[in-house]
Amino acid sequence: MYPLRVEDLTLQLPDGTYLSRELSFVIEPGDILVLMGPSGSGKSTVLSWLTGTLDKRIRASGEVWLGETRLYDVAVEKRKLGLMLQQDYLFPHMSVGQNLKFGLRGGSKAEREARVTESLESAGLAGMTDRDPMTLSGGQRARVSLLRTLLSEPCALLLDEPFSRLDVTLREQIREFTWRSAADLPILLVTHDDADIPAQASILNMTELGE
Amino acid sequence: MIRTAGYILAVLFSLPIIAGLLGSVLPAFGLLPPLAATEGFTELFADPRFWPSIFLSLKTAVIATLLALSLTMLTLVCAHGTRLWRWLNGLLPPLLAVPHAAIAVGLLFLIAPSGWFVRLFSPSITGWERPPTAWVVPDSGGWSLILGLVIKETPFLLLAAAAQLPAVKVDAALRIGRTLGYAPARCWSRLILPQLYPRIRLTLLIILAFNLSVVDMAILLGPGNPPTFSVLLLSLVNDPGSRAVASAGALVLAAGVGLVFLSTFMLEKLISYLAARRRESGHRGNALPVWRGLAQGVVIGGLLLSVLAIVTLLIWSFARRWRFPNILPTEWTMQHWGSRLGEFASPLFTTLTLALFTMIFAIVAAIIWLEAERQNKLPKIDWIWYVPLLVPQVTLLFGWQAMALLTGTDGKWLSVAYSHWVYAIPYVVLILAVAWRELDPNWNNAASVLGAGYWRVLFRVRLPLMIKPVCQAAAVALAVSVAQYLPTLLLGAGRHQTIAIELVTSFGGVDRRVIAVLASVQSVLPLIAFVLALWIPVYFKVKRPA
Repeated sequence: MYPLRVEDLTLQLPDGTYLSRELSFVIEPGDILVLMGPSGSGKSTVLSWLTGTLDKRIRASGEVWLGETRLYDVAVEKRKLGLMLQQDYLFPHMSVGQNLKFGLRGGSKAEREARVTESLESAGLAGMTDRDPMTLSGGQRARVSLLRTLLSEPCALLLDEPFSRLDVTLREQIREFTWRSAADLPILLVTHDDADIPAQASILNMTELGE
Repeated sequence: MIRTAGYILAVLFSLPIIAGLLGSVLPAFGLLPPLAATEGFTELFADPRFWPSIFLSLKTAVIATLLALSLTMLTLVCAHGTRLWRWLNGLLPPLLAVPHAAIAVGLLFLIAPSGWFVRLFSPSITGWERPPTAWVVPDSGGWSLILGLVIKETPFLLLAAAAQLPAVKVDAALRIGRTLGYAPARCWSRLILPQLYPRIRLTLLIILAFNLSVVDMAILLGPGNPPTFSVLLLSLVNDPGSRAVASAGALVLAAGVGLVFLSTFMLEKLISYLAARRRESGHRGNALPVWRGLAQGVVIGGLLLSVLAIVTLLIWSFARRWRFPNILPTEWTMQHWGSRLGEFASPLFTTLTLALFTMIFAIVAAIIWLEAERQNKLPKIDWIWYVPLLVPQVTLLFGWQAMALLTGTDGKWLSVAYSHWVYAIPYVVLILAVAWRELDPNWNNAASVLGAGYWRVLFRVRLPLMIKPVCQAAAVALAVSVAQYLPTLLLGAGRHQTIAIELVTSFGGVDRRVIAVLASVQSVLPLIAFVLALWIPVYFKVKRPA
């Protein structure tokens, strides 16, 4: 695994407001960096820039590296940055198993089936391969969504307030599940909730970076 | 009261549909002695034109629908999120407003051997000093008709698809799919299109039914011998002794539409099964910018064709002398507009009065229906609005005409207006329903707790908030009425000449420049309505105090 490195990231809205100026950070594999700040401070915009899906109206400059690979001109789908959003976005026209297979890369049919079964078991979701995602609880959906992201073998994990829609008791479980499942990846977490921040994480406050 | 009004509306709408179906079924089996005393199927099947015209209708309709669907998908995949997409969103509604017959005439002026396309390259590249004789338009294979249907129906399907994109969370699906490593085209084919298709299926079936039974465009762009099945049936119904045969044909056409629908469902199942298997393979695909560029070129080409068809109409309507191979007229004139407009004053007046009647009554009826529905005062029967769009016009109108003949209501202005209303109201209800159901009910509550009664809330709060969709729906109602050919022809009994009737009946026998004027007038009316639909909400917003 490689560190995720951002150098001199400057984000400017069309009205001239700066969301960040020359922001730099490095996240080593196994480390967690938390971007904090109120709504509209630009936390999610940083993630969009990292994944290459930034709104074209926003001006951006800076560099992002994954190990020795410069991601600037790498297509979104080739960046190998796993992303989880507030909503789980499990595709409703696919079963739970098909959603997970959609994330998987390569392998024979038997191997793919085995990996799906194994990952569902690891998440306490054994036997749910053929279930319709709409019939799952919020916590189960969140776990399937994370599994799908991890099965795509990302080199870093970007989390955009993925716990905010869960109730308080579920949040704790899913957080633990996430940190455990992605323990060897650099993780960038965007949140405005202090409770989401694990003890070992570093924190960057977006309100101190913009205008 | 609103419940009673809702039920009256449902009866008014259903009555001609039931009468129309009965009026087709009974004569087909010889059960309507004043009009048809013997069954018509034997004679129909013995007609040598039967199978060729059925085959031609199937070919043109199926190919045109498949091409329209493919072009829609291609446009979504290659243009969504780009500048081209923003242009398309601005251009599609006016293109959609142009009636089928006008587009057909414009297309003829473009692709005919003496048309604009040939003139653009003649004689410099082609060497032609005279119009070539290598092809004729309309062609015997029905390809001109297919082209016309594709350029007219693709904007309709594309707008329907664009309206559904937020519901399938297209941006999020693309973002998630791409961060999972899938190329954009794969995200569309595996994530978005499988969710989008069920939402546009009904529109696709409406287009398929329309393409199978279209009359005006088929007269203008389709071959003459044999003609498409619906045109053949129209010639039979005009023959007093052939009512039973025509009605039998109308039933065969309806059955054919049903069979094509069934085949579509089976094909869907097969494609869905194969697509699900491919989805599980995990193949990511590669981004192919060259293909994307080519696809964008195809979309721009299609768009340009529609725009050029309208421009050609306008140029012809102002041409005094335009000899082949000149690209533009050598002499221009306003004479056709000036002298002919007087001639067309009566059809124009009839067109306008019918359109205004249709617009007003369709809007009022739709509001009554949606208000009754909002208050849960009606059973769930909103499927009835789709019936006239899914049943071939020929089937419904032959029967309606038969019943009108029996009851002595044929040839009456009100009968024609009624038929326009029946064909316009489904679109109006469907457009307004979206806005009606989405309006936050708290607006009502906020006004009610301030002491406003039902009517005050409706007229002072709900309708002003809905002015934009109401204006759009009104423009669509007007456009639908202006374009109606078959209902006016059959129920008007030749006594009510509209621009649509003049255009189709004059074609071929009248000067090209006069036809251009007629087609331009027919295009301009709905375009004015759409401009007003855009302007009125803006105007009232400005006037509203801050």
